[in-house]
Amino acid sequence: MKKRRMFIRMITASLMRRRSRMVVALLSVAIGATILSGLVSIYYDVPRQMGAEFRNYGANMIFTASDGEMSLSDVEAAASKISDEQLVGLAPFRYENVRINDIPVVASGTVPEGVKATSPYWKVEGNWFTKSGELMVGANVAESFRIKAGDMIEVTYTPTEEDGTEAELDNSVFFTVTGIIETGGPEEDYIYMTLEDLATLTETDGRIDVAELSVSATSDELADYVSGISAGSAAVSASLVKRVTASEATVLTKLQALVLLVTIVVLALTMICVATTMTAVVAERRKEIGLRKAIGASDKSIIEEFMGEGMLLGLFGGILGSVLGYLFAQQVSLNVFSSSIVFRPLLVPITVIASIAVTGISSLMPIRSATEVDPALVLKGE
Amino acid sequence: MFLRMIKGILTRQWKKMLMIAFTIALGASLASAMLSVMLDVGDKVNQELKTYGANITVVPKENSVLNELYEVEGSGGTGAYLKEDELGKIKTIFWAFNIVDFTPFLDTSATLDDGSEVQIVGSWFDHHMELPTGESLDAGIVSLRSWWELKEGSWLDEQRDGDSADCAMIGVKLAEKLGVSAGSTLHVKGAAAEKDLKIVGIYDAGGSEDEQIYIPLNTAQALADLDGCVDKIEVSALTTPENELSERAAKDPSSLTVAQMETWTCTAYASSICYQIQEVITDSVASPVRQVADSEGAILEKTQLLMILITVLSLIGAALGICNLVTASVMERSQEIGLMKAIGAQNVSVTLMLLTEIFITSLVGGTVGFFAGFGFAQIIGRTVFCSAVSLKPMVVPIVAVLVVAVTMIGSIPAVRMLTRLRPTEVLHGR
Repeated sequence: MKKRRMFIRMITASLMRRRSRMVVALLSVAIGATILSGLVSIYYDVPRQMGAEFRNYGANMIFTASDGEMSLSDVEAAASKISDEQLVGLAPFRYENVRINDIPVVASGTVPEGVKATSPYWKVEGNWFTKSGELMVGANVAESFRIKAGDMIEVTYTPTEEDGTEAELDNSVFFTVTGIIETGGPEEDYIYMTLEDLATLTETDGRIDVAELSVSATSDELADYVSGISAGSAAVSASLVKRVTASEATVLTKLQALVLLVTIVVLALTMICVATTMTAVVAERRKEIGLRKAIGASDKSIIEEFMGEGMLLGLFGGILGSVLGYLFAQQVSLNVFSSSIVFRPLLVPITVIASIAVTGISSLMPIRSATEVDPALVLKGE
Repeated sequence: MFLRMIKGILTRQWKKMLMIAFTIALGASLASAMLSVMLDVGDKVNQELKTYGANITVVPKENSVLNELYEVEGSGGTGAYLKEDELGKIKTIFWAFNIVDFTPFLDTSATLDDGSEVQIVGSWFDHHMELPTGESLDAGIVSLRSWWELKEGSWLDEQRDGDSADCAMIGVKLAEKLGVSAGSTLHVKGAAAEKDLKIVGIYDAGGSEDEQIYIPLNTAQALADLDGCVDKIEVSALTTPENELSERAAKDPSSLTVAQMETWTCTAYASSICYQIQEVITDSVASPVRQVADSEGAILEKTQLLMILITVLSLIGAALGICNLVTASVMERSQEIGLMKAIGAQNVSVTLMLLTEIFITSLVGGTVGFFAGFGFAQIIGRTVFCSAVSLKPMVVPIVAVLVVAVTMIGSIPAVRMLTRLRPTEVLHGR
């Protein structure tokens, strides 16, 4: 019991008395631990955060009617199989041929909030349509009809019967153009209005041609969802937008590999830095070791004490480093992705154990060589 | 005398100096590795993002407005086409180096034996092209449609001698409908000619292409009697993320001041590349595909920012590590310095000697570290992106300044301690 108290006292006294040196050593251990916990947090969070960025590419899953027709409730029922956190957006579309000034145009009925979420890359000059009586037109349509935001246009719907004659139905509705869409894709040739307006115009409702979904999930999860939804719903067949999912997987894997390699390189180098610092700290105490040996301390007790000291440093440095590392990762995440990082409790013990191990191992070698020295020689100053 | 003392320290205390040099080398290698990777990561990720396909499309001027509207009704094209022989000019614009890939497309339709109509697209697969500049380029949908999954057979090999003109690739849905497989022949009748197409591969594109047939461009031109005509060109270019200036310029280049115009044309914005493509291809409209161009910009920015922050952290780590060691090693020598002071050395000369020593050590360590770091960067580049990380000249001065500054700052506390040091106390052993 007494021995242990003496041991603790010697360690704490040595740490306290040589305060400035120990602060320096502690700092270097803490930096190593910060880098470890910070980079590992970032490494694990990159796929999630970057995955969210990749959702800028638009929908990665589409629903189409498997047989006959699907309705909005079919689509919503199928989409409910995807967890809320992963479902970034759902935009149902229904397409009809309508006429503006007797020239045919494709009109699409949709939900503006859904499109905003699934296709964040749409550039709208003016405003998004929000309610009935409003519509947005594609840039090409706007150019050919000389439409600008704020105009009123008349949209007519005259279905063509199968025998080619025009049907009796001849609805026309006035709309306010709220905005012009620029995407550089086929969307520029369509006009967009709410599902309700399209239903009023065509006097039929309920049908959805295609639904676009933006799902933030790994490629395996996506494949599971697709097979699950296609099997579970009679009306809806789900498929992946290969172009988006395949490319996302490639780029994400590369990015994660990049962060991993960088982490390993940085970590290896900081570990060596910590080790050299510890070596320097122990080496300058050769005289003390000699003195202790001269008054009868065994090699074992000296090694134990120095190791205890080093490990204590590792412990404090590790704890300090976990906190700083988390803060650092949080800052990076806020700055880069503007969202906070997930705290991983497991990382704290890992960081602490790693820093204890590194400081322990790196002080072991110089202590060993120090204990081999003849006390008389060291004390004499040679 | 001064030189001799320095030489003496470096030769006699080489072990200690080696350790400092080693730490500095580690720090310098970390700095140069991270800087090299950071400066190159933009280009590398940009290359990876090319898997999303083209980010610029070029269509004929008249076509861009009306054709696609009328196509809805099933009528054919309006007769406006781009010229195939002008394609090479895309590689002659100012930003030619940024253009990774481009491929022409010609949509046409043909009738099958059973009377049904199929959509046929003429394109390049792995077209070999001699450029006016004397270089050559292999371009085509093999690289531009990298997400296509080959279900059966192989990619059409255009460069193979012989009968590649009669080969075709077919979408998985259409193949299923027609009941064809790789190796079978399909008789198609176009507007001007008939052909027996040999199916060499079946692809799954996960989109509308699954119901189309892709054939070499010249074969499609012969089918539709549209020699030298192209409907659309897709261009894949390395671009800089758009900003306010580029958006204004895209709308109306004449609204810019001379200085802004210069910045705009000299930056690889998608809009300025589009503008230059329009200048070399007659009657064309080039527009960025926002879905790709926008997201690329966002992802690129995030990746670069992430790397910058990681680099800064590791640089701070390296700097503190070096500082620590330099301070520790100088403090250790208090007795020796006390002796020098006791026999009459001035503070200035002791400091000067110390700094010179450390400077030489850091120079050696820094040089070794720089090359080691560049090696690390190569390892990272090779394993992650399968291509070498290019050496940016600006890394050299940055690392040099960093190493010197860090070691000098690291010796400040040591120097301050030395000047305050009293020889008697130190020599007495206190």
